[in-house]
Amino acid sequence: MAKYLAKRIFYLILTLFIVITVTFFLMKLLPGTPLTNQAKLSKSQIALIYQQYGLDKPVWQQYLLYLAGAVKGNFGTSFQFSDQPVSYLLSSRIGPSLQIGLQAMILGVILGIIVGAIGAMKQNTWADTTTTVVSILGISIPSFVLAVLLQYYLGLKAGWFPIAEWGGFIYTVLPTLALGATPLAESARFVRTEMVDVLSSDYIELAKAKGLSRMGIIYHHALRNSLIPLITIVGPLAVNIMTGSMVVENIFSIPGIGEQFVKSVLTNDYPTIMGLTIIYSFMLCVVLLITDILYGIVDPRIRITGKAN
Amino acid sequence: MKINSAVKLGTVATFAAVLLAACGSSSNSSSQASKQTLNWMESSALPSMDLSTATDVVSGETMNNTGEGLLRFGKKSTTHPGVAKSYKVSKDGKTYTFNLRKSNWSNGDKVTAKDFVYAWQRTVNPKTASQYAYMYAPVKNANEIMKSQKPVSSLGIKAEGDYKVVVTLTQATDYFPALVASPMFFPQNQSVVDKYGKKYAANAKSNVYNGPFKLTYWTGTSDNWTLSKNTKYWNAKNVKLKKINFKAVKDPQTSLSQFQSGKLDATYLSGQQPKNYKNDKQYVERKGASTFYIEMNQRKDSMMKNKKARQALSLAINRKQFVNKVLADGSSEAKGLVSTGLMSYKGKDFNTASAVPEATDHDLAKAQKLWKEALKETGRSNYNLTLMADDTPAGKNTLEFVQSQWSKLDNIKVTTQSLPFKTRLSRSENGQFQAVVSGWGADYPDAISFLEMFTKTNSYNRGKWLNTEYDNDIKAADGKDANNEAARWTDLVDAQKTLMKDQGIIPLYQQGKSQLVKSNVKGVIYFPTGANWDFSHAYISK
Amino acid sequence: MADTVKLPEDSFKPITANDRAALDSEKIAAPSLTFTQDAWRRLKKNRGAWVSLIILGIIFIMAFGSMFFSPHNPNAVNPSYANLPSKIPGVNINGFNGTLVQAGQRIDAYQQAGASGVHYIMGTDYLGRDLFSRVLYGTRISLIIALVATFFDLTIGVTYGLVSGWKGGRVDTFMQRVIEIILSIPNLVIIVLFILILKPGMLSIILAIALTSWVNMARLVRAQTLEIKEQEYVLAAKTLGESSLKIAFKHLLPNLSSVIIINTMFTIPSAIFFEATLSYIGIGISSPQASLGTLLNDGQKNFQFLPYQMWWPALVLCIIMLAFNLLGDGLRDAFDPRTKE
Repeated sequence: MAKYLAKRIFYLILTLFIVITVTFFLMKLLPGTPLTNQAKLSKSQIALIYQQYGLDKPVWQQYLLYLAGAVKGNFGTSFQFSDQPVSYLLSSRIGPSLQIGLQAMILGVILGIIVGAIGAMKQNTWADTTTTVVSILGISIPSFVLAVLLQYYLGLKAGWFPIAEWGGFIYTVLPTLALGATPLAESARFVRTEMVDVLSSDYIELAKAKGLSRMGIIYHHALRNSLIPLITIVGPLAVNIMTGSMVVENIFSIPGIGEQFVKSVLTNDYPTIMGLTIIYSFMLCVVLLITDILYGIVDPRIRITGKAN
Repeated sequence: MKINSAVKLGTVATFAAVLLAACGSSSNSSSQASKQTLNWMESSALPSMDLSTATDVVSGETMNNTGEGLLRFGKKSTTHPGVAKSYKVSKDGKTYTFNLRKSNWSNGDKVTAKDFVYAWQRTVNPKTASQYAYMYAPVKNANEIMKSQKPVSSLGIKAEGDYKVVVTLTQATDYFPALVASPMFFPQNQSVVDKYGKKYAANAKSNVYNGPFKLTYWTGTSDNWTLSKNTKYWNAKNVKLKKINFKAVKDPQTSLSQFQSGKLDATYLSGQQPKNYKNDKQYVERKGASTFYIEMNQRKDSMMKNKKARQALSLAINRKQFVNKVLADGSSEAKGLVSTGLMSYKGKDFNTASAVPEATDHDLAKAQKLWKEALKETGRSNYNLTLMADDTPAGKNTLEFVQSQWSKLDNIKVTTQSLPFKTRLSRSENGQFQAVVSGWGADYPDAISFLEMFTKTNSYNRGKWLNTEYDNDIKAADGKDANNEAARWTDLVDAQKTLMKDQGIIPLYQQGKSQLVKSNVKGVIYFPTGANWDFSHAYISK
Repeated sequence: MADTVKLPEDSFKPITANDRAALDSEKIAAPSLTFTQDAWRRLKKNRGAWVSLIILGIIFIMAFGSMFFSPHNPNAVNPSYANLPSKIPGVNINGFNGTLVQAGQRIDAYQQAGASGVHYIMGTDYLGRDLFSRVLYGTRISLIIALVATFFDLTIGVTYGLVSGWKGGRVDTFMQRVIEIILSIPNLVIIVLFILILKPGMLSIILAIALTSWVNMARLVRAQTLEIKEQEYVLAAKTLGESSLKIAFKHLLPNLSSVIIINTMFTIPSAIFFEATLSYIGIGISSPQASLGTLLNDGQKNFQFLPYQMWWPALVLCIIMLAFNLLGDGLRDAFDPRTKE
């Protein structure tokens, strides 16, 4: 295991390096400059501004400088917020995104497992149909539509929750619900499907024959073996949701990172894009590693550390 | 005006109101609510507070309320005394002498003539990399300094003692007082700039203010920021608001809901919202100083070079329908490049004086005829045209509408392309377009701010429309007629007429801002150019 | 030992058709069906799946048929008829009778616009375009995007996952790193790049989807393959010397079908939403083209005053999703050999 881990961590660093490289050169293809009104500037002024951002050097030098900085946690200076280091921009805005994303994931996955399990246990009954329709609706409505509906009906009309902004926990309720719909629906669907399969397999019959309680079977055998697809999708989904959804952050005026990211892509603020991509990629690689380890824990039949036989 | 939020004092104030109202005083503290807090919406976050390097509108608005220049903008872009009590202009219009009043920074330092000299030199200094330093162009030696050809100290501004500033210009400049009133020309406190170094103005604390308000909350990247009354401001006794909470709300639907639920005192409207609030008593329309127009690439394309073709495209557009039915947000038809209400002479608006109705009045039949002739003259049977614009909601509306209008011409195929702002800009600059929707907002209240764009060498002339007559008019307005108001006016009017007659561009609309403002918010001053808002006289009425 | 077995004469006669029938009548077995026949039979029994199939069929026909026949031109601009609500002749229910709440009062929007003679089933948008025609048009675009994404999922995604999971070892490690890299580079960067190189619109979106959408499918298939390949029947097939390709088709794919189908059901909405989110940002399908995403996005902005502009496309989208999912469930039940009768 230790050897496997060491190997994976080496791969993780390698992957990060490739991602940084690829993204860096892709960004260089985009016409992004820190200049906002190039046409009014003299050549020497433009040269000076480029120099300040280190853009006057050849691309490969910029790349090496960037790598050297990134290792030390220095991701350069944002083009959008004048003189704010990207690391500060990200650290000051990622908190709300992480919080809402995490809440939405926890809520969505737990509810999703419950809903999915109910559906599988009561297969082909009204309970099954209801849970299926609910989870389908969860993925049928885009988050921006759901967010608008929640905001309008629960925020403005009913007045139960604040319409927008960022304050205490109460402010996170609506965005969490809006973001939680996708993980809820996805986990419910996968859990139901897998569990239906598992419930009909021999070892469950055996457990039943042994006289294990219904809940015991569900918990110890059925649920556990139904989690493989869930584990596979939850990781990247969690990283996606936790690194901020521009749509939900915009609608609920959350000072998160999602909108900043979209804005930086559209304005070609590449130091910010790079910074976020690195964080995103790092989180993702870690999550994928955890996923692979979890496979083995959840289903002992799977061996990932070595070659299969 | 010592009203606190305490309820008791509130009742005293009400009582006083009755008494004073009888005396006929209206703008007195008596008519004010006890809580003087304004919740103001912005559509994007505050990116910078550095007077020298900020480039965007939100920064400009905020800085205009936390700082003060030699002069101050008032209603309709008129200038009023600011830090300068008074000023004198020499006969040739080249030397301005400002007499400063005694005033303080929010940290207690004195605001002196040196602060102005320092600020101006800092902005023009190429090392500061200020992207709007070109606004200093009229000041003596500014252009040379920006190109690193002369030392910074040679800039045409001198401090005579602590309370007198003498500015020398290269040539007489009509709009110079307006320039001096914009944030780019505000004073800066050298000791504070030096103290914080790179961190200067990076958050609310590492800065110092000489305006009616000071910034008390802002992390440098936060979506909301707070201005509080600056008690050290020389005119503090007339500043009524205690606090202004700025909130960046990026979704127009959300800001409207926030307004409806009382969390905001004002909100901008967009999309279809203005249509639905036209008759609301809280609805306010503000005319902007920016014009949107179509540039046609006249580098190679024989059709775009053809005057008749350009005219046909302009006449085919029903601007009235566009602004009233499609945009419906307070925008108005553009009759020329210069925005209406920006400049007037002897009571006559610039656009009235320079009107060329045959260039912008909707006339499909005439357009059809001109289009046919143009096709014939260039030896074509049909023409494919791609119109490019920003991917903003207004940009998309424009694309869809203009496309439908142009498609009514015979033998034309119009396709559209909406691109992210920076991509659109870089394609415009490189001449990779056939026709593009561009917009321009005046930097200062003078027609030249618009018209200088379409001279031969100006880089904003992206379609490369060339006209010697036009160039000569602009040159005269900037040069020999600079100190002769009447002649300069004629030059500028002629220039716009030439531009319209030759259809160098197709003007579309003048942008308007529509807002909902709570009826108890009083005294907010709006001006269409530059920083837009002044809250120093605003208050919340009962 | 001269024990001889005496066999009757007729033992050496071939059996007749009659005898055979008599023998067969005692056999207890279902008719032998091939895998696909069996799946088809099971699918036919599922009523929900059938209804969904029919609904999808109708939607496909209407959406693609509107290329040739559409109630109005979806791009015909008519600003004086802008923002008219739904009006279905003969129906007098608020919401479908052309009335609208404006400034707290219910008014007849058609009368106000001087359009008493006409009716738009789903109303009009802010440029006065017929929303019904636009919804048809948008459904078509969204379906194309969904189908393209599904196609890449089923081809690249499944193959990639199968190979990675089956081969294991170094191949797997390498293929998983490639996936990590693809997952790590933000989709938005890729799409903006395509917009820059090509131009905004369908092609850029489809290419971006082609590059990125199959990754989840590949990961799911790999994970399931890792599990299945350790099972006895695969081992048995291996021992018997079956080729990998045959094992993949005969044993792995059927057992993977439930994961594949369920994930496809997620690919469809996520492709449609990917495009919708792009329109929210402003770089989706370029106007005047429309997709369900752009329509939803436009409608969302005016939800407070013109709710029908969001409800209609949302309703269509929900119906499509429900139908796809119920059909998917039916297919899954039909194809998965593990499903109980």
